[in-house]
Amino acid sequence: MREILRLALTLTAVAVLSASLLTGVNIVTEPIIIERQEKDYHQSLERFFPDVDHFETEEIDGDQYDIVYDQDGEMLGIMATVETAGYEAGLIYNLAVNDQGEIKGLVIVSHAETPGIGDVITTDEFQEQFTGKGFDDPIEDGEDVDSVSGATLSTGTMIVSVRRTVTTIGENFLDKQIRAFDPTEVADGIYQGSVEGTHGILTVEVEIADGVIERVDVIEQNETEAYFVDSYPKIPERIVEEQRLEVDTQTGATLSAERIVSAVEKALEEAPTVENGGDDTDEGR
Amino acid sequence: MERLLTIIFVYILVENFVLHRFFGICPFLGVSRKMETAIGMSMAVVFVMTMATLVTWLLYSFVLVPYNLEYLQIVTFILVIASLVQLVETTLRKISPTLYQGLGIFLPLITTNCAIMAVALLAVREEFTFVEAVVFGLAASIGFSLALVIMAGIRERLELAEIPDVLQGPAVTLITAGILSLAFLGFGGMFTL
Amino acid sequence: MKAGNVYLQDLSRGIINENPVFRLLLGMCPVLGVTAFFINGLGMGIAATAVLIASNVVISALKNYIPSQVRIPCFIVVIATFVTIIEMVLQAFQPDLYEALGVFVPLIVVNCVILGRAEAFASKKPLLRSLVDGIAVGIGFTLALGILALVREVFGQGTILGPDPDSAIQLFGAGFEPMGLFGQPAGAFIALGLLLGVVNIIFKKFNIK
Repeated sequence: MREILRLALTLTAVAVLSASLLTGVNIVTEPIIIERQEKDYHQSLERFFPDVDHFETEEIDGDQYDIVYDQDGEMLGIMATVETAGYEAGLIYNLAVNDQGEIKGLVIVSHAETPGIGDVITTDEFQEQFTGKGFDDPIEDGEDVDSVSGATLSTGTMIVSVRRTVTTIGENFLDKQIRAFDPTEVADGIYQGSVEGTHGILTVEVEIADGVIERVDVIEQNETEAYFVDSYPKIPERIVEEQRLEVDTQTGATLSAERIVSAVEKALEEAPTVENGGDDTDEGR
Repeated sequence: MERLLTIIFVYILVENFVLHRFFGICPFLGVSRKMETAIGMSMAVVFVMTMATLVTWLLYSFVLVPYNLEYLQIVTFILVIASLVQLVETTLRKISPTLYQGLGIFLPLITTNCAIMAVALLAVREEFTFVEAVVFGLAASIGFSLALVIMAGIRERLELAEIPDVLQGPAVTLITAGILSLAFLGFGGMFTL
Repeated sequence: MKAGNVYLQDLSRGIINENPVFRLLLGMCPVLGVTAFFINGLGMGIAATAVLIASNVVISALKNYIPSQVRIPCFIVVIATFVTIIEMVLQAFQPDLYEALGVFVPLIVVNCVILGRAEAFASKKPLLRSLVDGIAVGIGFTLALGILALVREVFGQGTILGPDPDSAIQLFGAGFEPMGLFGQPAGAFIALGLLLGVVNIIFKKFNIK
C-alpha cells in the first residue's frame, strides 16, 4: 500500500511540476504569439490598404472577410482569409480586393504544396497575374490568367478559388450582380462557343428554342478523359435543368466543368438578342 | 457520408501515413522483415490508433478546450497513449491469452510509434468532427498497415536478391520504400478533402 | 585525464560510432519528413537537440527519486514538457520555422532517440556525462538531418538556404532543371538509402566499428 502511494505521489509530483512549468511558459509566450500573428496580418493589410484604420469581420461559408475602413469610416476594400485545397489540403491565403472589386494582391498564409512543384503558387510571378483583375474579369485559366504546367492542380484550383472569392466579395459587400443571363432574351437558334481546354479547344453547341435552353452539347474537346467524364454530361444537364449558367461546378473535374460553363457563356454572348431584349441585364459580364 | 469516404481514401492511398507523411517509420523499418510480424503489428496499430484518436479527441474537446489548457496537449496525449497501450496489454492478457501472444510483443513498441501521436494531433489540427476523427484514425491505421504488409512482402523476396555490399540492410529497405512511395504518388490528387 | 577520456568517448560515440540516424536508424520520421530544405532540417535537429539535452540532464538529476516502476511515464512527462516549451518558443520567436516543421515539432515527444537516451543512459549515468551524451547524440542527429537536407535541397531545388526567397541562393544557372523527385516523399527515402550506402563505404574505409 505504501509502495503504491509512493508511486502515485511521484507521478503526481512530476505531472504537477510539468503542468506548472508549462503554464508559466505559456503565460510568457502566448501574448508574443498573438501579437506577432496580428502584426503579420496587419502588415499585409497595410501593404494593400495603406490608409487602414480599422476593420469589421464577417464570416461566410467558414471563410473570414474583413471589411477595411480608413479613418473617416470610408470603406477601402475587403481582405479575405480563405482556406482551400490545392494538391494538398490546408491551403490558406489572403486576398485583398478594393472597393471596386479589383484584386490588390494575394498572400499565401500557409500551404502544404509539394516543394519545387506546387509551391509555385507562392511566387510573385504567379500571384501578380491576379493583380488588377476584378469582378468583371473572367479570372479563368487560359483566358486572363494562366496555370503553371507541371503544377496544374495547385495553380488551377487556386485560380478557381480566387474567382469564387472575388465573386463572394462582390455579391456580399459590393452589390455586384452575378453574371446575369436570361434565356428568354436570346433569339432562337443554335450557337457555338469555344474556350481553350487542357490539350486543345473545347467547343459547345447550345440550342435555344422559345427562350429555353433546349440542349447543351460538347462537340469538340481534348480534356483528360478520366476527369472529363465527371463533368460531362453532368454540367450540361445541370444548365438545361436550372436554365442558368451559375450551376454548381464542384465535380471531380472542376476545371473542365468551369470550361464548359464559360464556353456556353461565350456562345450566348455572341448570340443575337430578341428585339427589345434588355441588353442592360447582361452587363454583369 | 461522402466526406467520410473521402477521408478513408485520402488517408489510405493519397496521404498514406508511412509513404507520404513519414509517420511511423521506425516500426515500418523494424518489423517489416517477416509477413507474420507485419500482420501482428498492423492489427495492434489499427486497434490502438482508432482507440487513441477516439479518446484524445474527446479529451481535447471536452476538457482541454473548455478550460483553455490547449498547451497541455502534448503531455496529455502522450500519457493517454501510454496508458491506453498499458490498458490494452493488461486486458488482452486477461481476456484473450492467445491474442496477447500474437500482439503482446508489439504493444510496448507502439507507445513510441509516432504515427499514433500524429493521428491524435492531426485529428485536432484538421478540426475533424468526432465521427470524422474516428474514421480518420481507422483509415490512417489501415494505410499504415497496407504499407507495412506490402513492404514485408517485398522484403521477404529481397532476402534472396543479390545486393551490393554497402547497401545491405536498412539502405536497400529505404530505397525500396522510396520506389513504393513513388508508386503511391500515382494516387496523388485523386481525392482531396 | 581518465575522466576526460570518458567524456571524449561519449562525444565520439554519440556523433559517429552510434550516430542515431546513420548507425542506429532511430528517430527516422523527422529525418525524412522535414529535410526538403536545409534550414528546416537544421532547425529540426537543433530543436530535438535542445529537448534531448534538457531531458537528459533533468532525468539524470532526478534518477534517484523516481521509482523504477513508474520511470517510463515520468520520463515521458519530462520529455513532453520540454517539447511543449520548444513548441511555444518556436511559435513565438521562429514562426516561419514553426510553420515549416508543422506537426513534426510536437512529434519530437515520440522520437525514439530521446526516450532511448533517457532509458539507456541518463537514468543510469551521472549528470555531467548525461549532459555530454545529450550534446553528442544531438550533434549526431543534427548532422545527419543537415547532410540529408543539403543533398535533397541542392538536387531537388537547386538552391541552398531556401525556401525563403530572400535568403535562398541559386546554385545553378537558368538552364538547371531541379530533380523534382528529391522534393517528393519518395525522393526522401531514396536519398537517405543512398546516403546510408555512402556512410557505410566511409565507415568501412576508416575501419570504424
